[in-house]
Amino acid sequence: MLHLSEVTKKFSGITALTKVGFRVKAGTIKGIIGPNGAGKTTLFNIITGVFPAGSGSIAFRGEDISRKKPEVIARLGIARTFQQTHLFKSLTVLENVMLGRHYRTKAEFFACGLKLPWARREEKEIRMQSLEYLNLFGLADKKDRIANKLPMGEQRYLEVARALATEPHLLILDEPTAGLNEQERDAFRDMVFKIRDMGITLLVIEHHMKFIMEICDDIMVLNFGVMIAEGSPREIQNSPQVIEAYLGTDEDIDY
Amino acid sequence: MLPLSWGFYTDDVMMANPIKNPNIWAWWIVAAGVLILPLLLGDGYYLNVMNFIALYSIVALGLCLLTGYAGQLSISHSAFFAIGAYSSAIFCLRFNFSPLISVPLSQGISVLAAWGIGAVVLRLKGHYLAIATLSFTIIVGVLIIEMAWLTGGLQGLSSIPPISLGNFLIDSDRRFYFVVWPVTLLLLLFALNLVESRIGRIFRATKESEDITRLFGADVKRYKVKVFILSSVFASLAGSLYAHFVTFISPMTGSIMFAIDIIMVLAFGGFTILWGAMIGAASLTFLNEYLTIFADYKRAIYGLSLIVIMLFFPNGLLQGLKDSAGLLLKLRRRESVKNASSQ
Repeated sequence: MLHLSEVTKKFSGITALTKVGFRVKAGTIKGIIGPNGAGKTTLFNIITGVFPAGSGSIAFRGEDISRKKPEVIARLGIARTFQQTHLFKSLTVLENVMLGRHYRTKAEFFACGLKLPWARREEKEIRMQSLEYLNLFGLADKKDRIANKLPMGEQRYLEVARALATEPHLLILDEPTAGLNEQERDAFRDMVFKIRDMGITLLVIEHHMKFIMEICDDIMVLNFGVMIAEGSPREIQNSPQVIEAYLGTDEDIDY
Repeated sequence: MLPLSWGFYTDDVMMANPIKNPNIWAWWIVAAGVLILPLLLGDGYYLNVMNFIALYSIVALGLCLLTGYAGQLSISHSAFFAIGAYSSAIFCLRFNFSPLISVPLSQGISVLAAWGIGAVVLRLKGHYLAIATLSFTIIVGVLIIEMAWLTGGLQGLSSIPPISLGNFLIDSDRRFYFVVWPVTLLLLLFALNLVESRIGRIFRATKESEDITRLFGADVKRYKVKVFILSSVFASLAGSLYAHFVTFISPMTGSIMFAIDIIMVLAFGGFTILWGAMIGAASLTFLNEYLTIFADYKRAIYGLSLIVIMLFFPNGLLQGLKDSAGLLLKLRRRESVKNASSQ
C-alpha cells in the first residue's frame, strides 16, 4: 500500500529524517512511536505532501508521490487528521464533513450558482452521506454547531469523520487520543478497529503506549529522525534500543 | 467503501430540503420590494439613486465573494469596472456593435484579463496580493489615459448608445431600473447559491487555511483564480451597464478612489455577508447623496462615519445590527424570566 525508502528531509541544515524506509501493508494498522521531536509529524507531512521529500521515494499503491502536491496525494486516497485539530471554524460540524466529500463530487461554479437540478441532487447526496459519517461517531445531533466549539474528544471524532468522508485507502491519524480520557480512548480504539474492518489501512502516531500496543499490527520507532526499530508490538516492547531511547528522555510512558 | 445505505437520515434530509434557507425567503421579499418600489417613487431623483445603488451592489457582491468569502483582498475592481465600461463603449463607438453584443463581448475580455492577472497575482497573499492588484489598477488607469486614439484619453468617450431592444431604448431612469435591478437580483441569487454549495465551502475553508484545504483534495489555486475571474466579471458587467446608462465615461470612471469606495461599501455592510454588500451599497450611496451639502468636507464625514462603524460594529453594519438585536432579545428574555421567577 505505502512504501517509503530512504526518505531524508533537512530543514536549513537540521536533518529531521534520515533514510527512513518502511512498508505499510494493505488492511493493517501501523504505528509510529518515538519521543517528542523524533520527526513523526514531519514524516506525515512529507507523506501527505505538505513538504516535499528531500530525497528518497514514497510509493503509494504503486505510484511515486514524493514530489506530488498535497491535493493530488489526497485524491489518490490518503486522508489525515492533525495533532492539533484543524477544523474549519467558519463551517458547521456537518459542513466540515461535507467538505471532505469535495473531491468525490463534481458540481462547479455555474452548476452550483444556478442550482441546476443535478447539482441540487448532488448536494443532497453530500448532505446525506455526511450525516451518515457524523452518525457513525454519534455527532449527528450536533450537526449545526460551530465545529471548533465542540469538546476535544468530539473534535477528534469529527476530524476522523471528515477524513473518512473522502473515502481514503489510507487514513493517517496524528496523535488521535491526545486530550482524551481513558474511557474515550477505549471508545476510540473500537472505532479504529471498525475503520480497519471497512477495508481502510491506518497509519497512527501515538504517545499512549497501551493504546498503540493494543491497536497496531506493526510498529516503527523513530528517534532523532532515525528509524531504530520495527516489528510487532511484542518485539518493540522488548527491544533494547527502544527502551534506551525512551528511558533516555523525560518522556512519559503511560503504561 | 462505507456502508452508506443505513438510511437513518434519509427522511430528515428530504424534509429539511425544501427551501428552508432564510436567504431565499429574504431574496424573494427584497425582489418583490424592488420591483414595486418604482410605483411608489415615481420618476426622478430617487429612481436614479436606486440605479446607482444597483451598480454599486453588483461590484460589491463580486468583491464580497472574493474577499469576504474566499479571503483574497483585491483592489482591482475599479479596473475591471473600467475595462467593462471602456470595452463595451469602444465596441459600440468604434466598431458599431449593438450594445446587446458589445456588453457580453466585454465580459469575455474581462474574463481573459482576469484570468491572465489572477493566475499571476493570486500566488501572492494578504497585503502583497492587495498591492499587486492595486498596481494593476494603476496600470489600467495609465493605459486609459495614454491610449487616447482608442479611449479618448482624458476627454473620455461620450455619446455611448444606450442599450436597445429593437427600437425600444433603455434610455430613462425607469427603463434602466428594470434592467439593472433584475440583473443585480439574479447575481445576488447566484452568489447566495454559490456560497452555500460545495464551492462555497471551499471558499470559506480557503480563507481559514489554504494548506489544510488542499489536504482535502481541493485544487485551491484553481479555485482562487476562478473566483477572481467571477468577481472581476461582476465588476466589469456593472461597468458595461454603467457606460450605456450614463452614456459618458472618462478616466475617472475606474479611478482608484472607486476601488476604495467599494471596499468601504463592504466595510460598511460587512465583508462576510452577501446581504451586507447590498446594505453597504445602499447606505453609502445615500450618505453620498445627502452629504453633497457639505461639499468638500464630504469625504471627511464619509471617513468619520466609517471609523465609527469600525469601532462599534467591526464586522460591518449588518452583522452589528444583527448581533445587537440578538443581545437585546436575550436581555429581555432574561429579564422576563427574572420577573416570572420573582413573582
